[in-house]
Amino acid sequence: MSALSKIRFLLQHAIRVELRNRHGIAGLLVFAVAAVYTCYQATGTHAEQESWNALAWVVLLFAGFNAVSKPWADDDEGVRAFLIHAVQPQHWLIARTLYYMVLLGAVNTVTFAAFLLFLGMDHLNGWMAYHYFAGVMLTSTALASLLAMIQALASRAGGGFSLIAVLGLPLIIPVILVSTRYGSDLMRGIAFGDTAHHLLFLATLSAGFFALGYILFPYLWRD
Amino acid sequence: MIQRSWKIGGIALLAYVFWTTFTVPLGPGLLEFRDRNEAASTDGITKRIETYELIGLGTHWTVQPEELRLFIRKGDQITPLPVMDVIDDTHAHAALLLPDTLPFKAWDVLINHPIDGTLFLQNGLFVDGFVVDESAQLPRPQFEERGADLPHHFPFQPRIFETIRNLMLHVPMWFTMFLLMGIAFIASIRQLSQSSGDSSLFDLRAEASVQVGIVFGVLGLLTGSLWARYTWGAWWVDDPQLNGALVTVLVYAGYLILRGSVEDERLKARLAAVYNLFAFVILMILLMVLPRFTESLHPGKGGNPGFNSYDLDSSLRAVFYPAVLGWMLLGTWMYRIRLQATRLNQKLHLLIDE
Repeated sequence: MSALSKIRFLLQHAIRVELRNRHGIAGLLVFAVAAVYTCYQATGTHAEQESWNALAWVVLLFAGFNAVSKPWADDDEGVRAFLIHAVQPQHWLIARTLYYMVLLGAVNTVTFAAFLLFLGMDHLNGWMAYHYFAGVMLTSTALASLLAMIQALASRAGGGFSLIAVLGLPLIIPVILVSTRYGSDLMRGIAFGDTAHHLLFLATLSAGFFALGYILFPYLWRD
Repeated sequence: MIQRSWKIGGIALLAYVFWTTFTVPLGPGLLEFRDRNEAASTDGITKRIETYELIGLGTHWTVQPEELRLFIRKGDQITPLPVMDVIDDTHAHAALLLPDTLPFKAWDVLINHPIDGTLFLQNGLFVDGFVVDESAQLPRPQFEERGADLPHHFPFQPRIFETIRNLMLHVPMWFTMFLLMGIAFIASIRQLSQSSGDSSLFDLRAEASVQVGIVFGVLGLLTGSLWARYTWGAWWVDDPQLNGALVTVLVYAGYLILRGSVEDERLKARLAAVYNLFAFVILMILLMVLPRFTESLHPGKGGNPGFNSYDLDSSLRAVFYPAVLGWMLLGTWMYRIRLQATRLNQKLHLLIDE
């Protein structure tokens, strides 16, 4: 099999396993909607601009973290022992990163939609909601490329959710800094063209995380 | 002997640094140039000569008080103000005798004195009740800047004052931390690239240097926090440089937690090395690249050239460079002690296991 078809197979496999176990997906969505509803209870539909922005990113961040931090079939020692011989580590990492992009993209889309539904979109008019959504998607991408590596590291270390948070949260702070600044720029009425460099920066960060993971992952993977 | 001499050298440097940091006096400076007219007008004096009070810090105006000269300056316009009375070393009264038409409203205040030299107070005077005409020309007086006739002293900086001494503590902490994290980075590369099996020799080096590096990072945060409270008014401010510093300390704390949660020595060595490389490269991007794109209060970052203007004073350099070297030597020494302790501990455990 060529590299591309191997990656495609791994990606399809991951999605199939995910869809087969519907409780997993449902759990993520319940978590996301419940978190959004908690925010709604705390602020109502009249959250100030800054609080709206802050709450949105905090909920998106934790929904994303929650999505990647559950145990995976691939993390099982037996499965890994088989995969080591069957696929190259880089292929596995690429498939995993792509899968996280799909998963986090989906989870964050639902979360963002729920957020707009409950907390209202008074602060986002016209095209702004789409620009904001583009920021959400790029943040998901950055999260995916960082957490694919961190999740693999944490599961190799045998730690649970707390280890992913401890290792991943500090490194994700810069992404959140850029995202929140982008969001609040949009809301303060700054033209999209003048704040779009934040999107470029998010894309660069994702590429950087992925490149580092690509180089270092084989050392993590082998026995 | 060579083994010992660099340690002795480091301690000697730090002794010199601490001694000079806390004994060299601060140079003189101007604090304020303020209106005294509330007091004057209550006496029912109708003739309106505005008197101003000039307040200095660490100045010596009672020595040769007749030589104290006061000027206001903006751009290439400069004009003298008469000094009426020298109250004491740090207080003097001056009259605001100026023509009715002035080119500007905001002026820098400066003084010349044989001992204190030329001192500035940026935007120290804001005049009201004058006709402002930018084409007005003031008569140019005889003025030339003069140096201070004082023993060795640190430069006076507005708002920073005596806390300029913190430069010798705060900045070297970060330099030392970067040195130690650099040692850990190289150790981690060698740990991953070694061909002969999975000896954890380099891993122990990385661990020891991160442990010591974190100590310096926390000290850097604490000294920085104190300094921020004094100069910016808050223990912590939202600033890219500070974010980067905090993230660095958190990430390396995560590194130590990761080590703690893996039992198997070989696996621990590998995972820790991978995370260390991952974290170090990201931190380099964050600390070196990100702060330059955003505005920052912190000197030397963003649009704030800060440090160049006062860091390069020779009296500071004479202490700052030894301070950096001294703290780095001390950090390296601490790292080596830590490394030896870890190795001995490991041997002890092997003996107990046997």
